[in-house]
Amino acid sequence: MTLPMDVLLIELTAVAYLVAAGSLFLYLFRGNVESRLPAAILLTGFVVHSLALIRLFLRQGFAAVALMGDALLFNSWLMVGIYLLIHLKYRLTVLGGIIAPLAFLMTFAAFAVSRGATEVPPGFQTFWLPLHVTLAFLGNAVFALAFGVSLIYLLQERHLKHKKLTLVMKRFPPLESLDRLNYKLLMWGFPLMTLGILTGTLWAGIHWGDYWSWDPRQISSAIVWLLYGALLHGRVTAGLRGKKAAVLTMVGFCVVLGYFLWGDAIFPSRHGGRFE
Amino acid sequence: MQKQIVIVGLNHRSAPIEVRESVAFENSYVADALTRLRGYPSILEGVILSTCNRVEVIAAASDEKSALSEIMLFLAEQKAQRHAGALDDHTYTYHDAEAVRHLFRVAASLDSMVIGEPQILGQLKNYYDTAQRAGTVGTVLHRLFHRSFSVAKRVRSETGIGSGAVSVSSVAVELAKRIFDRFDDKTVMLIGAGKMGDLMARHLQSVGVKTLMVTNRTFERALAIAERIQGNPIRFEDFARYLAMCDLVIGCAGAPDILIDAATIEKVLRERKYKAMFFLDIGDRRNFDPLINDLDNVYLYNIDDLKSVADENLQERANEAEKAEEIVHEEVQSFIRWLASLEQVPTITALRQRFEEIRQREIEKSLGGDLKGLSEEQRAAIEEMTTAMVNKMLHGPISQLKKNSADHDDDGTLYIAALRKLFNLEKQ
Repeated sequence: MTLPMDVLLIELTAVAYLVAAGSLFLYLFRGNVESRLPAAILLTGFVVHSLALIRLFLRQGFAAVALMGDALLFNSWLMVGIYLLIHLKYRLTVLGGIIAPLAFLMTFAAFAVSRGATEVPPGFQTFWLPLHVTLAFLGNAVFALAFGVSLIYLLQERHLKHKKLTLVMKRFPPLESLDRLNYKLLMWGFPLMTLGILTGTLWAGIHWGDYWSWDPRQISSAIVWLLYGALLHGRVTAGLRGKKAAVLTMVGFCVVLGYFLWGDAIFPSRHGGRFE
Repeated sequence: MQKQIVIVGLNHRSAPIEVRESVAFENSYVADALTRLRGYPSILEGVILSTCNRVEVIAAASDEKSALSEIMLFLAEQKAQRHAGALDDHTYTYHDAEAVRHLFRVAASLDSMVIGEPQILGQLKNYYDTAQRAGTVGTVLHRLFHRSFSVAKRVRSETGIGSGAVSVSSVAVELAKRIFDRFDDKTVMLIGAGKMGDLMARHLQSVGVKTLMVTNRTFERALAIAERIQGNPIRFEDFARYLAMCDLVIGCAGAPDILIDAATIEKVLRERKYKAMFFLDIGDRRNFDPLINDLDNVYLYNIDDLKSVADENLQERANEAEKAEEIVHEEVQSFIRWLASLEQVPTITALRQRFEEIRQREIEKSLGGDLKGLSEEQRAAIEEMTTAMVNKMLHGPISQLKKNSADHDDDGTLYIAALRKLFNLEKQ
């Protein structure tokens, strides 16, 4: 159940993210926007976003995030929050150029994909729900940021290989920093994702007796988990870094995002808000 | 009488280096020269600017025409101390708005040989300080120079005129900074004894690399170079063994053969766990296999690549210069407005107006308040009295202003500027 006030707050959030994205592009390509402005707009959007979520939680409890549209809201909120934390330390304004449009798409899509059940059945209302969902979404959010960092890395790398230096490039951090940050994000994201999968499996096993049900979400998670696991292993042991690492990070996140946007529509399941 | 701004000068475009040198002012001599300049009858304020690319005299004068010929005389005298020859062909002159514009463009590095180079502003500040110490700076040049400094700052922050390296070795350093985020853990290897390599190694050293290795076919030369640039000499036969330790490799050997091929670097990369490498091939001949650039996490730039980046940056600066010209235009307009306000007539009018306003306001307040009951005659008497008071108070300052201006006194504009500020006349 969505009240007009919630709709308004979410619309405001989406608008703020869109404006933030616009100002970031102006900053990157035209250089005529003050560098602190985009992050400030993004922060404003984040505050409104937080208000919207607080209202949602107060009314429906944590169960809200089990509904598809609201899940996107929660996930994008975590993503923007973590970005703002990273920005505080690294001043990665460029990364905002990827996070802001992504956050806009996710909040915007929250309306579009908000279908299926509107009430969460009592079977789902246990402590497993917040635990599983928060861990899994934190993992997603960290990987969204790793995706952004990797994309910037690849753009920068391409410019350097092709010997073209542009104004945009001057805003990019050095490849070494990007690669290191990518590694750090993987180090955080992978355990979070692992815990997310573990709690989900345990929950399923205890409540439904099927640890593994070939739920499309389980399958896509397993694929991404293996991919990121291999990436982490390669990084630690074989010096898998730079371009290849960036490409793999991006592929992994695209699978996650793909499931979020379309997976549920194609394969209805427990994860997609169809609580059969 | 308004002070007029005039500039006479010669720069890298108007005069060949011999001529520029013949009129250049040695640092120790500038203060004396300024005093001499100030001795000319129509020069009221003066600043001398003398760098390797330009010699300019910037003056505020009572009469533009005579000031121009006096400055030419002044420069010719300076030149005569070296050798004779006409200066007229090599000098340019500007007055009023054009002079202001010229100085703003010089400060903003729009008139420099390398557009956007940052040194000129510092030089300008130094010469301005010298003139100020020598006592040849008055109200007009004070304001003019301080405006020019802030114009330069505005241009630098609002346009990309100073961005992008324009010399080969600074391009290399800029590129290295796109790849690596710190240098205190990086090792550089310099192969060969070419001059360019020497320069680049020094440039990299200035950003603080951890180790610098030097190698050469003849070990003695490697030793000599290593000593000169404080590196570690390595025997030529051994250099391949050290490659895995190196993050930056500079090739500047005169040899016509390829010293490092892609297959070698593939092996080296495995050994260093694919940590990024940056190759700079800057000798007259290629020392590194071009295929190296196709390997992941490896970047190879040769001298032509570096040059073309430098050229692009220069072009970029030229584009940004257009934006800068707009800023200069704006600033010139506002300076000219200020300069015009320094004329005494509008200042006296504005001052009278200000006092009259105050008088009117106070009269209204009093006659509408405590003195409400006054008769028509009494009111008229108060009007008369206050008007007389204001006139008496203003009589001294105004006649002093007129006298100053008639005397061509240097400080006329100073009083006017002070008056405008004290009585807040600027806005009118």
